Amino acid sequence: MSDTVTGGDTVSRMPKFLRRADPAVATAFACIIALLIFGSLYSSSFLSPEYLLQQLKVASFLGVIATGMMLVILLGQIDLSVPWTVATGAMMASAAAAFGPMGVALAIPFGIFCGMMIGLVNGIGVAYLRIPSMIITLATNAVAQGLMVVYTGGFSPQDSASEAMRYLATGSLVPGVPNAVIVWALIGAGTVFLLTRTTFGRSIYAIGNRERAAYLSGVDTRRIVMITFAIAGGLSAFGGVLLAGYASKAAQSMGDAYLLPAIAAVVLGGTSILGGRGSYLGTVAGVILITLLQSILSVMQMPEAGRQIIYGVVIVVMLLLYGRAPASR
Amino acid sequence: MDTAPEETRPLLHMQGISKRYGGVRALEDAELVVHAGRIHAILGENGAGKSTLIKVMSGVVAPDQGRIVLDGAEVTFDSPAAANKAGVVCIFQELSLIPELSVADNIMISDPPTRFGMIDRRAQRRIAVEALARAGASDIHPSALVKDLPLSRRQMVEIAKALARKPRILILDEATSALTAADVSKVFDVLKRLRSEGLALLYISHRMHEIAELADDCTVFRNGQKIATYKAGTKSDNEVIELMIGREYQNVFPPKPAPNAAAKPILECRGLTWTDRLTDINFTVRPGEVVGLGGLDGQGQRELLLALFGVLRGCTGQIVIDGEPVRLASPAQASSGKVGMALIPEDRKTEGLMLPMTVRENLAFAAMDKVSKHGIIDRQAEDRLLDEMVKLLAIKTAGLEIPVGALSGGNQQKVVIAKWLMRHPRIILLNDPTRGIDVGTKQEIYQLLRRLADQGAAIVFYSTDYDELIGCCDRVLVLYDGAIKRELVGDEITEHALIASALNIDVAEAAKMARANA
Repeated sequence: MSDTVTGGDTVSRMPKFLRRADPAVATAFACIIALLIFGSLYSSSFLSPEYLLQQLKVASFLGVIATGMMLVILLGQIDLSVPWTVATGAMMASAAAAFGPMGVALAIPFGIFCGMMIGLVNGIGVAYLRIPSMIITLATNAVAQGLMVVYTGGFSPQDSASEAMRYLATGSLVPGVPNAVIVWALIGAGTVFLLTRTTFGRSIYAIGNRERAAYLSGVDTRRIVMITFAIAGGLSAFGGVLLAGYASKAAQSMGDAYLLPAIAAVVLGGTSILGGRGSYLGTVAGVILITLLQSILSVMQMPEAGRQIIYGVVIVVMLLLYGRAPASR
Repeated sequence: MDTAPEETRPLLHMQGISKRYGGVRALEDAELVVHAGRIHAILGENGAGKSTLIKVMSGVVAPDQGRIVLDGAEVTFDSPAAANKAGVVCIFQELSLIPELSVADNIMISDPPTRFGMIDRRAQRRIAVEALARAGASDIHPSALVKDLPLSRRQMVEIAKALARKPRILILDEATSALTAADVSKVFDVLKRLRSEGLALLYISHRMHEIAELADDCTVFRNGQKIATYKAGTKSDNEVIELMIGREYQNVFPPKPAPNAAAKPILECRGLTWTDRLTDINFTVRPGEVVGLGGLDGQGQRELLLALFGVLRGCTGQIVIDGEPVRLASPAQASSGKVGMALIPEDRKTEGLMLPMTVRENLAFAAMDKVSKHGIIDRQAEDRLLDEMVKLLAIKTAGLEIPVGALSGGNQQKVVIAKWLMRHPRIILLNDPTRGIDVGTKQEIYQLLRRLADQGAAIVFYSTDYDELIGCCDRVLVLYDGAIKRELVGDEITEHALIASALNIDVAEAAKMARANA
């Protein structure tokens, strides 16, 4: 039968360690190195440990948000509610911090909880009501925005982030290593475990590949879709909590700058936008790549308009490159 | 060979047509002669090559070998559009109309009349009215939306659409299967009129009485070859069935043990009904029994299996497991330990497997609770169980970590079966499990089914291959139009009885004929 899917021949001739590496992930890492070399030609401080660590810290906010996005994209869905889920997480955590010592203690969990609620609504809409994720997440984004505007009266909220939030985002438990990077590493390790070692993770891949086959195999696909959206919402909100800690307070539309970069990081890391295929290592590479690109464009003092254009063009070009590569996982 | 009508020069002559799909031979040196002004019926079992022949004729697929002679000149059709241009137009089984467009838009969809580069609506409407009148459906308004028309009217639009392309040869592939008897007779009047206008009509149907009423000539296909062409009415139904069955089948099936009537039924179906596709289905299955579902393709067998497995919403009636009525609302419930059901689905590529995922992930997928604790996969336990399964079913694979899509069709199907056997199901439903796989693997699957039954499983087995039903099943339920028309037990399961009851013609006569042959 002529139903083989993979280019098995070319793969089997490669050495073993390369065979295991996804070509997309390798490309992303190669681009990171190329960007660093290009940047160091521009400014010698580009390769300094301080700069690199600073970039990693900035990347970790995007990294946490992109983790949730990756889980949803692996299902073959999309989460467009990221901007205001991020803002909701930040604002609700800051708001809780204003309610005495109890509020301070519960600020972070409360922010994440609010994000999970938004994600849960997304998940119920997609899994049980069969609303396309593009529509329902766009709608919950608008609702979250409205609720936050009602809460703040349309001005930047006066509440400021709790000590714990600031410590998580800007402190460093291990000298020299920002806490935000440690947080991202922990979330990343948890995600890798979830995706590779648990039945839940396997079900996510299976649903992304063939929801029908997964359903007919006796897996409760709707429950898994719903929970995955809730996790993604929680991670977006957690990203917002970290951002609020970083800036000491929440702000209107602070999440707007994270939707496209989160999707781009996931897809540049080799995760199929159609779902079912991708590794977390790729998302890590994608997040670092996007962060470096943004940084280099701002170091070069490129005007905002030019930055947006280059940023968009790079994403389209890289997606085209990946689109030509044969499917493999 | 029987005599073909010789009174006119053939309009279309297909000679030595061969077509293979991968390793499967769909047509082998097939021949067909079609005359103008006649209705030519094509008969054959499922998979006899009828559909492929039609596709070759109408330019949908290119033949590997052979020539098509139209009006004395050899032609090649590299697309349906080319065939249409030469006057060969096909009305396919599935309705090809776009519901949101008007009747006139649909009729002229591929080649609308234009004026200054814009669609000339007035001309389009005029042509549509003419075509509808010719199809005997002038009551349909050309600007009505197709979605507002009932199914039978849509079929008339479909015919008008074909007529608007000025065909000389009109092919109807199961064009009446969606119609009620009253609508069918209207369509027949139209077809007879078209015949008198000099068109050649090719008519493909499983309904014997339609063919008897309509056809002038008949051609029987079997295993991709033309078996006989004869004038309609010169052969009895039973002779036709003989021609359709043909070849003897080899002894590839395991022996059937004597039935154990004492065993209590494990699965019982009471009055199962789903929309208009399943009507009042009643049957029981005992442990150790292989029960077949027979009948023509698409008579509700698939729906029945899906309904049992909890996939279909809105079923009425009762499913009884071990004497206890149960409600099965999802595959998760049907496959749970208490019920213990498994479904080997129809299409392994879209329903059975996640092709890009590894053999390991696919094999373990239906039984993840058996290889994990608290949701965390135990790799060692998984390896052990999977190795066992790979050995048990002799799955040929270069390891557990390669994509399952890289395996051959037969081995893919083994993976689908193995993934369910890991759950040790008590009731196994199979939906045409041997379609498109090689003979050797088929044989292994037959042996496996019998072995599982001997170990106490109850098996419900739908197959489009009559040989399989005869060779594997202790009982066969023949479905027609969503209802069980007949139950064949033991020696009653013969090709004559199966085909006769599948076509819903006189079963007694067919049985008599079978006895006379034996």
